[in-house]
Amino acid sequence: MKASVLAKVVVTFLTLLVLTSGITSVNAADTIKIGFVADVGGVAASFYKSQKAALDLYVEEANAKGGILGKKLEVVVRDSQMKPDVGANVARELILSEKCDFLVGPTSSAVALAITKVANEFKKIVYFQTSNSEALTTTDFQPYMFQVVPNTGIEARGSAIFLAEKPYKKYGYIGFDYAYGHSQWDSFKKELLKLKPDVDIVEIVWVKAGENNYSPYIPTLMSKSPEVIFSSLWGGGLSSFIKQAAPYGLFKKSTLTSLYDLDTLRLTGKDMPEGLLGYSRAPFYAIDNPQMKEFTKKYYDKYKEWPADWAIMTWDGMVALNEMIKKTNSIDSEKLVKVIGGLKFPSLRGERYIRAEDHMANVGIYVGTTGKDPNYKEFLILKDVQEVPAEKVWLSVEEVKKLQKK
Amino acid sequence: MSIIAPEPGIDMQNQLENTTAHKTNWVIGGIVLVLLVLLPFILQTQGRTGEFWIWVTTEMLITALFSMSLNLILGYGGMVSFGHAAYFGTGAYTVALLMKKAHWPLFLALPAAPIAAGIMAALIGWFCVRRIGLYFAILTLAFSQLLYMVVLQWYNFTGGDDGIHGIVRPEFLTPINYYLFCLAIFVLCFIFMRMIVNSSFGLTIRTIRENMERATFIGINVRRLQWINFIIAGAFAGIAGGLLAELNRFSQTEYLHWSRSAEPILASLVGGMYSLVGPAIGSAFLIFLKIILQQLHRSLVEVWAIILGCILLIMVLFLPDGLVGLYSRIFKKNVS
Amino acid sequence: MTYQQLIFLFVNGLSQGMLLFIIASGLSLVFGVLRVINFAHGSIYMLGAFTAYSVSTLLTTESFFHYLILLLVVPPIIAIVGFFLETLLFRRVYTQEHLIQLLLTYALVLIIDDVVRVIWGGDFRNVARPDLLAGSVDLLGMALPTYNVFILIVGPIIAISLWFLLYRTRVGNIIRAAVTYPDTLGALGVNVSWVMTSTFMLGCWLAGLGGVLMASLANIDLGMGMEKIIESFAVVVIGGLGSIGGALLGSLIIGLGVTFFQLPFGRWALLFPYFIMALVLVVRPWGLFGKPER
Repeated sequence: MKASVLAKVVVTFLTLLVLTSGITSVNAADTIKIGFVADVGGVAASFYKSQKAALDLYVEEANAKGGILGKKLEVVVRDSQMKPDVGANVARELILSEKCDFLVGPTSSAVALAITKVANEFKKIVYFQTSNSEALTTTDFQPYMFQVVPNTGIEARGSAIFLAEKPYKKYGYIGFDYAYGHSQWDSFKKELLKLKPDVDIVEIVWVKAGENNYSPYIPTLMSKSPEVIFSSLWGGGLSSFIKQAAPYGLFKKSTLTSLYDLDTLRLTGKDMPEGLLGYSRAPFYAIDNPQMKEFTKKYYDKYKEWPADWAIMTWDGMVALNEMIKKTNSIDSEKLVKVIGGLKFPSLRGERYIRAEDHMANVGIYVGTTGKDPNYKEFLILKDVQEVPAEKVWLSVEEVKKLQKK
Repeated sequence: MSIIAPEPGIDMQNQLENTTAHKTNWVIGGIVLVLLVLLPFILQTQGRTGEFWIWVTTEMLITALFSMSLNLILGYGGMVSFGHAAYFGTGAYTVALLMKKAHWPLFLALPAAPIAAGIMAALIGWFCVRRIGLYFAILTLAFSQLLYMVVLQWYNFTGGDDGIHGIVRPEFLTPINYYLFCLAIFVLCFIFMRMIVNSSFGLTIRTIRENMERATFIGINVRRLQWINFIIAGAFAGIAGGLLAELNRFSQTEYLHWSRSAEPILASLVGGMYSLVGPAIGSAFLIFLKIILQQLHRSLVEVWAIILGCILLIMVLFLPDGLVGLYSRIFKKNVS
Repeated sequence: MTYQQLIFLFVNGLSQGMLLFIIASGLSLVFGVLRVINFAHGSIYMLGAFTAYSVSTLLTTESFFHYLILLLVVPPIIAIVGFFLETLLFRRVYTQEHLIQLLLTYALVLIIDDVVRVIWGGDFRNVARPDLLAGSVDLLGMALPTYNVFILIVGPIIAISLWFLLYRTRVGNIIRAAVTYPDTLGALGVNVSWVMTSTFMLGCWLAGLGGVLMASLANIDLGMGMEKIIESFAVVVIGGLGSIGGALLGSLIIGLGVTFFQLPFGRWALLFPYFIMALVLVVRPWGLFGKPER
């Protein structure tokens, strides 16, 4: 190639680049922009719909009241496709190019771990309402984040306490092979062996995150006949697993303990076996307080369906964020970050606070047994629900501090 | 066996032009370089958007380097590798692991990237260069997917699907400084690649592309030279991978996936394969186009893959000599 | 582990392999005749699965009869898509370099995958198993899903039909001749381009069938094509490019290999297809059933 042609190509290109960057730097100052890094498709699809529905509802309601600090709210969504690199890139784009004031986290914990770094780099507050790796608040902690979802440690230790009371001795495990699965399994195993040193873990199966075809794994999982299988599958993946495992007779021989949130229960529908021990993060049907009743009604009126755990926790995150803004009278993350620690907020799950050391809200899990309910004809829910409060199972401040130093 | 060869004779003509127009080339190269150095300072005046574009241009430089490295085997060597991401990813993981797990500083970890990638390319390439044409392409694909699966499954060491996050960055490497740092490396690599391409080694590689049989008859050790070329290309890809790991501050299995291997091939096709800078311009153009579409309308990025696919279809069916070829055709300039 | 369990794992692995065979045989067939490695084969398979989903929503019940309609209707739809792909696009690049061909099929991967996303969205879906196939059968005291048995029946039927078509019919003779001596065939007055179009359609038909079967075996989502195409490559490479018998062997090796290597190696068993693919290419690039460079 002739160098002169090359030079023309490059110069044209650079000029275009500078021009576009100039054009795109227009921004309206009277809005609060919320960047939602979302896992839109695949096994996370139903979660995304619930998260987005709650966010839209919150924004609609706030704007009807004149916005926050007189500024209208606006949501910008980007798909991170459950890939950490895509997530980090879109988070950066949301902050720098879209000029978002806050970020809302994704479903995948692996993506969340990538995003939290970006939030820290650009000093913008992000909250996590679904992705819940304990690492976010310990080894990978950074102050510009807070978590309103029970983390993997809380979930796993809560489940271990729940299961240890039962007579099971032979345990199996199946989980997605990424941050969430590993973090949950490590905590679960540690707590279970502490409570019940004589249990036997007979089989561990790791599958790719987002796996849909479980037929190659089910016979292996069953081959050593575990009495109970603990799983860190979730959403579409868990629902697929249950549907595919039934004809193998898995539920005749074992029971399955996992995250039975409303979306997963709805997805699985009538294929959900009765009598499985499981937990939920925020079951609207089991939490009895006026805020939740009001929210459930609003949500049902707008969307003609019940709010899933994800909708409730997304809402709670916005509530906490709003408290911070009110307290500082500012939307500047640098100011907000100073009031996160110890902040009290009126969560739909009741009054909650955010612990100063790790920015973890004191949210526990809800354990119960799957069963039919006359109010909900299309799907099963958890019955005899009990709350395992966060204070009982979260890491002590000393443990958190030790991990954060790493 | 000739793969993707341009019209015969053009190469030689190109050589002649290169020597006669040598001086002007350096002058123009210098002007382009000055513009590239000034670019971030102009962008900086745009505030946060400018910061975004500095980040984008840094990414352009890195992917450009990656595409150029592939082109050493693709355009100059005439060998279609569908597994070049393996070396890119090796570089990225080398930097990530050394910095995160062994706490090496960036300036020690970065030079290790091309070395590790080169070793990986030497191992894989040793088998691959024994195959030609389609079998070569599939074997490179098989090895890169094997490596991808190893990294994906080895959770305790590589972090599996999570990747490795939170690579530290030295304080002085602000976005602008990192851009300039990448530019410096890019220019050094460019000069080095240019020397390789124009050396007797580079000419021999092109001879092999034009006619492998004849090359064998005149006593060239074809496999050995192709192997060396493969290693060099792998090492340059490793540098690009290492730079991207530091820019993004993480390394991820996607860097090793076969769809990542396709990207520099697309860039080479868009930019034109028979020059050193063609693939670089191609990859910069593709990134630019994607972001422009996103800025124009959000829904356009939803169909980005369709747009990219259609561009590719058009290139494949009508413009196999790339954008640079199109440019010269429009302006009726005779460039090769 | 008892021998009953081993047999059970074997049968289960076999059904996985059979499904893979149906998809990979299409890829192999297309390569054999057209000499094009079709990266888009996985995407066409995905298109089949999602089409099956849409057609199934039109059918009101989950009876076996309706499921048969699905099996009969969807693969031909995909074959028609294949007709347009071949006549409009593939035909233009047969004489081109491998790179151009690969890139053309890669462009189709990008386009088809995104079109599927635009039409069907990112949700994963599935087609309910028909009532007759929803339960399980007893195998040595263990429950094997009836659906897996069904795949174990369909797979061999397809294999035998393909063999019969290729080796016992005139069409098959022509196709096999087109593999070896396309020029001579043209000189003999056979319409070679017609042979190529119909072979490509047959390949798409097989991909479509694989998609329909998959839609009831597991959930289907956007990544399924990308995943399957590499596995199918492995199958085709192991068996030998263009060989149907080889594709059968390759599918069984991978289906059973992944199942049994899970026992000692756990998740590392997933490396097996790629490892054996690389190994075969290094040691015997023409595959177990193929012939050295024609």
